[in-house]
Amino acid sequence: MQDLLYFSQQLINGLTIGSTYALIAIGYTMVYGIIGMINFAHGEIYMIGAYTALIAITGLATLGITWLPLVLIVALICAMIVASSMGWAVERVAYRPVRGKHRLIPLISAIGMSIFLQNYVHLAQGSRNIGFPALIQGGFLFGSPDTFQMSLSYMQITIFITTLICMSALTLFISRSRIGRACRAVSQDLGMANLLGIDTNRIISATFVIGAALAAVAGLLLGMYYGSIDPLFGFIAGLKAFTAAVLGGIGSIPGAMLGGLILGVAESLTSGYLSGEYKDVVSFSLLILILLFKPTGLLGKPEVEKI
Amino acid sequence: MTISVKKLATAVSASIALMAAGQAAAEIQIGIAGPMTGPVAQYGDMQFSGARMAIEQINANGGVMGEKLVGVEYDDVCDPKQAVTVANSLVNDGVRFVVGHLCSSSTQPASDIYEDEGVLMITPASTNPEITERGYELVFRTIGLDSMQGPVAGNYIASQNPKRVAIVHDKQQYGEGIATAVRDTLQAKGVEIAMFEGITAGDKDFSSLITKLKQADVDYVYYGGYHPELGLILRQARQADLDAKFMGPEGVGNKDINTIAGEAAEGLLVTLPPSFDEKAENQELVKAFQAKGEDPSGPFVLTSYTAVQLIADGIKQAGSSDPYEVAKALHSGTFQTPIGTVQYDEKGDMKSFEFVVYEWHSDGSKTPVN
Repeated sequence: MQDLLYFSQQLINGLTIGSTYALIAIGYTMVYGIIGMINFAHGEIYMIGAYTALIAITGLATLGITWLPLVLIVALICAMIVASSMGWAVERVAYRPVRGKHRLIPLISAIGMSIFLQNYVHLAQGSRNIGFPALIQGGFLFGSPDTFQMSLSYMQITIFITTLICMSALTLFISRSRIGRACRAVSQDLGMANLLGIDTNRIISATFVIGAALAAVAGLLLGMYYGSIDPLFGFIAGLKAFTAAVLGGIGSIPGAMLGGLILGVAESLTSGYLSGEYKDVVSFSLLILILLFKPTGLLGKPEVEKI
Repeated sequence: MTISVKKLATAVSASIALMAAGQAAAEIQIGIAGPMTGPVAQYGDMQFSGARMAIEQINANGGVMGEKLVGVEYDDVCDPKQAVTVANSLVNDGVRFVVGHLCSSSTQPASDIYEDEGVLMITPASTNPEITERGYELVFRTIGLDSMQGPVAGNYIASQNPKRVAIVHDKQQYGEGIATAVRDTLQAKGVEIAMFEGITAGDKDFSSLITKLKQADVDYVYYGGYHPELGLILRQARQADLDAKFMGPEGVGNKDINTIAGEAAEGLLVTLPPSFDEKAENQELVKAFQAKGEDPSGPFVLTSYTAVQLIADGIKQAGSSDPYEVAKALHSGTFQTPIGTVQYDEKGDMKSFEFVVYEWHSDGSKTPVN
């Protein structure tokens, strides 16, 4: 019973982190699916989302508004708007002018953008860790108080539910809406979609905006869950989310979700049963193994050579 | 662009050389190397504030042997790679005395360069024993060692008769070094160590670690490392209802831990150098800091002040600004400083330095624990 509770606790920890990895991974995978480039500045967009949310929360608090649902919704909307415009602007400034050139050029442009945004926040907000207010506190406890107690906090529940809503909305959007259909068309064949009258530039911008908005959601959730943010935290999260996207099959949206969850659980079980020191070793070994046996990732489709 | 890069480079280096030559004439340059930016910049602030004050006061009293001290400041971001770059540029700039670095992991690689290039270094903050273990002639410190701080923490924990103790560290030189010292002390006293584990500095999610601590049913957790990670561990532990007492070294004892951990920082135990700013003989100095609007209570302010003063006193006693002569004077002399009477052993460590256990409060204040 004890061991089972311990295992479930580590599983919950892993799924919590994993679902936020998934939210960030969507941005990588959608952009890759459509224009075949890796947007290295995506982690920074997520970090900017978290900063915006924190600024909004602090702003509301100074205005005397503390009603939790309102604070969360306003913070979420602010973060999504700022991050989306940032995502849009990054594409417009750094990627569109070099689109269609050699593959390395947009990649380098993306790395440059990532460094630029990171240092911009360093300068604007300072390099110190900033505490994030714990807005959602408390939770459920399972098990008897004298032995190991499993805890499921309201914050973790919020993360699960929000992720679930975002993922379902995205799936519906991609499969049902006009823009979603256009997205799928563009990812299959950009040139052909263009010929058929789809405004591909708009669709590509839309992908960046959607990815950035989801990253902003993750930024707010993780900021509250962890308790502090700093200008570098987008980099590490971005790396993990990118790994999740590759693990699940880059270019595939369900793959990104699956990859995120697997990565989160693998990390948490490694820390729980081996040692926290091996966390990254195990998750990256997992990545290498999967890529050895299934180079396109778990749910990725093999790339058909287009003639 | 028609100007060739080569020409430009020649022009720039020539002008730098001119500037350096101009400075070297009648001044003694003191390099101050530490983090001005980055996650531990607040400790750097203490270091710079203390060293600047000492330079100012020594100059106001006529300088050293008629020459003025000039502070030259360098930012190493508490990054070992950056520290090496800083050390090299400091040597290039012709600086012969350094107050720094702050982080042990920066001090170690930088000190190799200083020793080779004949630069005298006094670190006001690096506590890793390794730094003075290599038989270097020009390396000193104005702070104690992990091997002194570890036993103080270990003995304190042991005196509380804990059932089981967990030790966590950030795998960096400072954190792991001090955690190892605590573990050895506890083991020698027969206390059961339930866990000895590293985390990655910069990580934000400690839920797995905390679950593990709960499972291990520990009543004391010692953390070797800095405040950004411990702050998050405290906060996440409180949310997960982990009921254990936390303790850490002086690297966690600053007010930033309160902004991260909030209420959860209440009751944290910290080993710190004694509050030099509360000593009666330092009150005049404290007023000088307050007059400038600076806070002298940080653990590294007066150690940095002392480092500058020791360089000045060493030069006076040696009657020369040759680093090797000054080092000899420091090794043999006895000096009265704001942190007490300083005497050095042959390794460059102070013969005595005391650490005290404090209890930290959620408003950022601290009270000594007996």
